[in-house]
Amino acid sequence: MSVLAKTTYFWRSAVRGIARRPFIHLVAVVTIAVVLFAAGLARSAAQLVDSLLVAIGGDVEVTVYLKEGATESLAGEIASELASKTGGSAVVVPPHAAMERLRGELGELGDVLNDLPRNPLPYSIQLQLPADRRTPQVLGPIAAEARSIAGVAGAEFGEEAVARLSSISKALRYGGVVAFTIIAFATVFIISAILQLAIYSRREEIEIQKLVGATARFVKAPFLIEGTMQGLVGAGVAMVGLWAFSAVFGPRLLVLFSFLVRPGDRVSLLAPSLVAELLALGCALGLGGSFAAVGRFLKG
Amino acid sequence: MIQMFHVYKAYPGNPPSLADITLQIEKGEFVFVTGPSGAGKTTLLKLIFCAEKATEGQVLVDGRNLVRIRDSAIPFLRRNVGVVFQDFKLLPQRTVAENVAFTLEVLGVPRRECRDRVMRMLKLVGLNHKAEVLPIRLSGGEQQRVVIARALVNDPTILLADEPTGNLDPALTIEIMDLLCEVNVRGTTVLVATHDTQLLGRYPKRTLRLDRGYLVSSQDDLASRRWMAAG
Repeated sequence: MSVLAKTTYFWRSAVRGIARRPFIHLVAVVTIAVVLFAAGLARSAAQLVDSLLVAIGGDVEVTVYLKEGATESLAGEIASELASKTGGSAVVVPPHAAMERLRGELGELGDVLNDLPRNPLPYSIQLQLPADRRTPQVLGPIAAEARSIAGVAGAEFGEEAVARLSSISKALRYGGVVAFTIIAFATVFIISAILQLAIYSRREEIEIQKLVGATARFVKAPFLIEGTMQGLVGAGVAMVGLWAFSAVFGPRLLVLFSFLVRPGDRVSLLAPSLVAELLALGCALGLGGSFAAVGRFLKG
Repeated sequence: MIQMFHVYKAYPGNPPSLADITLQIEKGEFVFVTGPSGAGKTTLLKLIFCAEKATEGQVLVDGRNLVRIRDSAIPFLRRNVGVVFQDFKLLPQRTVAENVAFTLEVLGVPRRECRDRVMRMLKLVGLNHKAEVLPIRLSGGEQQRVVIARALVNDPTILLADEPTGNLDPALTIEIMDLLCEVNVRGTTVLVATHDTQLLGRYPKRTLRLDRGYLVSSQDDLASRRWMAAG
């Protein structure tokens, strides 16, 4: 028997099903669209938080302290060695500059430094890495390697601050995934409940199908197609919503969150990767909902 | 061939719907299943198309044991067993032709072949001129003929009819019974469940008589007529 004939039947039946009960399917599409719209906004918010973390992380650098008695030329050699090895930028800080900076940081208490018989601060090197490499996993080994260089007394990079930033970033990311997973399950449950109404209204048809020898897969197929179509339409509606939101509120939000966004950066609500993700999620929600609904109906 | 060996069917908390049923129906036979309401006629038919499974005993249809059949194999069994119901079970929003085609759609028959077979079957039941009409526009007899066409369109070897004339007047009853006899003459095994004793008198066929779940007689047509005369 013809696979083409069956496929044609499934699509015809799915379209007919949607056309006969447009309101039920509209509710399902709107539910999916609202969830995906919220997911899209959350995704953009996550991007902003990432920008914030990068901005804060910008202050993180490795400070390499040289041994007492190190010369300016040795400091320069070590600085260029570190820069070439790490791909970052290294600046030599002479002892007097370090003292001036310390004095400035101490403010009024800075006068205490005048009582020192000599400047105890050694030459140091400030090494700054590209933003995406400012993690404990990258900075730790670099600091360790710097410590092993001859003439280096020590190296530190503010492990605690970096670890905390990374933890915040990780927590937000995992929290987002967990929250979305819970919302996705709730959505699948809601969609399945809505679709069960559509399936229930076709119970006679299903009963006759089973009596004349339809397999469970045959009965399910049109409903799964309906679910997938709802998911895709829902994703489309969510994308239109995000585009409209971006067009209306985007410029104002960029001004509002300018402290998070680096100059020249744009937070797009409809990046190509997001479009693909929303379409895939829409399919998954629609398909999952209809799969659960028709499965429950056939078991009942 | 349909065979039952010491078949019981019971629902929790109720006396058995069928008890110790042993019978054999040959290929191409026409058999009435009769008895008062609640005797177990419908349950007996349900066992044959696997709408129910026997609690005890063995049910064999064309050599396949339906007590042990897997759920996934039931649809393939049903493609060989046509079923006709008293309440028709037609889809009101589909035309006569679409209702009959429903069986073939399940089998994935291409549309053109499907149309040809549906028209041939509608011609057999005398409804080819009403192919595009909705069932609601048909008389009870015509609706039952659509159901018979739907049950036969994929050439099943067995046709089960549960009170097929229960909702019809005497003229339409004869019309439907003549059609079922014609189907039987073409080689299909036909089982008709009915409590209409007049029907049994008019069509002398083998009769299985059930009473409170027990098979009380399983006569051939001559014995059946004697039993009817005595009753």
